[in-house]
Amino acid sequence: MMKRFGLLVNREVQTGKRDLSIYALTIFLVLFASETINSFVAQYSRMGFAPAVYDGLFSNFLFIGGFIITSLSFASDMFSKNGQHEWLMLPATSFEKFMAKGVLSAFVYPIAIILLFFLTSVVTEPIQLLFFGNPVTLFNPFTGGLGSQLASYWVWQSVFLLGATYFHKGHFFKTVLSIGGIGIALATLGLLFVKIIFSLKYGSSLRTFDVVFSFDRFLLDPASGAIGAFRALGKILYYVALPIFCWVTAYFRVEEVQATDAV
Amino acid sequence: MANELESTNSAIQVAVSVKDEVIHMQDIGFSYGRKPLFNHLNLSVMRGNIYGLLGKNGSGKTTLLKLLSGQLFPSEGYTSALGFDPVERKPPMLSEIFYLPEEFPLPKMKAKEYLAMRSVFYPRFDHTMFAQFCKDFSLDMQQNLSEMSLGQKKKLLLAFGLASNTALLILDEPTNGLDIPSKRQFRQTVASAMTEDRTFIISTHQVRDMENLIDPLIILNDGAIIFNDTVDSVNDRFVMALVSSDPGPEKGIVYKEKVLGGWMVLKEREEGEEVQGQPLDLETLFNVVVENPTLMAGGAR
Repeated sequence: MMKRFGLLVNREVQTGKRDLSIYALTIFLVLFASETINSFVAQYSRMGFAPAVYDGLFSNFLFIGGFIITSLSFASDMFSKNGQHEWLMLPATSFEKFMAKGVLSAFVYPIAIILLFFLTSVVTEPIQLLFFGNPVTLFNPFTGGLGSQLASYWVWQSVFLLGATYFHKGHFFKTVLSIGGIGIALATLGLLFVKIIFSLKYGSSLRTFDVVFSFDRFLLDPASGAIGAFRALGKILYYVALPIFCWVTAYFRVEEVQATDAV
Repeated sequence: MANELESTNSAIQVAVSVKDEVIHMQDIGFSYGRKPLFNHLNLSVMRGNIYGLLGKNGSGKTTLLKLLSGQLFPSEGYTSALGFDPVERKPPMLSEIFYLPEEFPLPKMKAKEYLAMRSVFYPRFDHTMFAQFCKDFSLDMQQNLSEMSLGQKKKLLLAFGLASNTALLILDEPTNGLDIPSKRQFRQTVASAMTEDRTFIISTHQVRDMENLIDPLIILNDGAIIFNDTVDSVNDRFVMALVSSDPGPEKGIVYKEKVLGGWMVLKEREEGEEVQGQPLDLETLFNVVVENPTLMAGGAR
C-alpha cells in the first residue's frame, strides 16, 4: 500500500513538474527582482536598506499559490471526461489517489516553498551585497510566526481541497466566493444572535455599536475562565474539526464523483 | 456408475467454464439520466479470445466497456470482471485491466518518462516487449508526448497496453487516427501479443480494419447483446452466395444486398449442404444480425 502511495505521489509530481517548475522560477524571479529594486532604491535614494522582502512575500505565495494549486489538483483527473479514465483505471484505491493529492498540497507544498525561499535568498543576497552593499539577510523560516501561518494554511487549504472536489469548474474562484458568502451569512447570524441576547439583558434600545463596544470591553477578557474555555473550544473547532471535516467530506466527494460523474 | 461419471464430467465442464469466463454480466440496467440504455443486459466473455464489440453509433459500446471495467456503475444487475466486482475498483483488478479509450489526454512529458511513471503500476509489465512494439510502430521514446500526433499517441498506449500483460485489454476504437500501414501493423502486433491467458475486447466501427483479427463478435443493438458468437458459427448455419438476379422473397434467404454483378445473398444451409459459398465479411455479418436480431438469438448456434 505504501509503495502504491509512493508511486501515486511520484505520478502527481511527474505530471505537474513542468507547471511547478515555471511557478518556482516565477517565485525566484519575483523575489530576486523585488530585492534588487529595494537595493537599487536604497542605494540611490540614500534612505537606508529596507528589510528583506522574503517574509512579506512568503505568506502571499504560501496562501494564494497553495490555494490555487490545491484548487486545481483534481480538475483534470476528476472532472475532465477524457482525462478521468486514466485516474479511475490506475491500480490504486480511491483513498490512496485522494491522499496523494491531498498530502502533496497540504504538507509537501509548504515545505517546498520554504526551501525555495531559503535557496532564493542564498542566491540573491550575495549578489545584493556585491553590487549594492545590501547586508545579507537570508530567509529564516523559524522567525516571523511561521508556525501560525502554517497552521492557518492547514485550515484553509482543507477548505480549498473540499472546493477542489466539490466544484466541477472554476474551483478556486467558486471556493473564494463560497467562503465570502458563508462568512457574510455567519456574520449576519452572529450579529442577530448578539443583538437578541444583549437586548434581553440590557433592554431593547441597545444599538449595534453598543453591542460591539460592550462585547469587546467586558466580555472578551482572555483571563476570564468562560472566555478562555470558549477560545480553546473555538481553536479546536478551527484548527482540528474544520480541517478534518473538510478532508473527510472531500474524500467522500471523490468517491461520489467517481461513481456518478459520468452519468 | 455411468450417471455418476456424467455428472462428474458436467461438473468439471461447469468449473472450467466458470474459470474461463473473464466477464459475466447479468441483468444489467443502466441509464443516462432518465433515458434507459441497458435493460437486463447479459454478457459472457471467455478467456483467450480477441472479441470484437460492434454496434451502431450510440448503441452503448463505450458505456458497456466502462461498466465492465468499473468506470461506470450499473443501476441494477450483477457484474464480475476477472472474479472481481468492478464497482469496488480494487487495485488487484485494476492492475489486470488496461483500457485504451478513444480519446485521451497525455501529460506534458517525454514518452520514456511516461513509461517510467506508469509501467510500475502493472506488475507483469514487459519492457522488452514494449521496446519491440515501439520499434514496430516506429515510436521515438525521447519525443515529447505533446509533440506526438493522435495516431502516435494511440500507438504508444497500445504498445503500453499490450506490454502490460494484463489479463484483460480493452481497446475502444483503436484504429481511429492510424494511417494505413499502422493499421496493418496494429493487427500484427495485437495478434502477436495474444496468449491463451489474455482476453482482448476491441470496440470498433472500422470492421474492415479488424478482419481476420476479431472473433468472436459481440453485437450490441437497442440496449441488448443480440449476438455473441464466432463467425464460423454463422458459416456453419448460413451460406453466402452471389446471384445474378434479385432473388425476391425466397424462402431461407435472410439477407440480400445489391452489389456489382448481381446480388449477394445469405441463406440458411439446407440439411447436409456442404457448399463453400462466398466468405462472410464482418460488415455483412453485422448488417445481417442487426436486420434480423431474432434470427441469431444471441448467437448462431
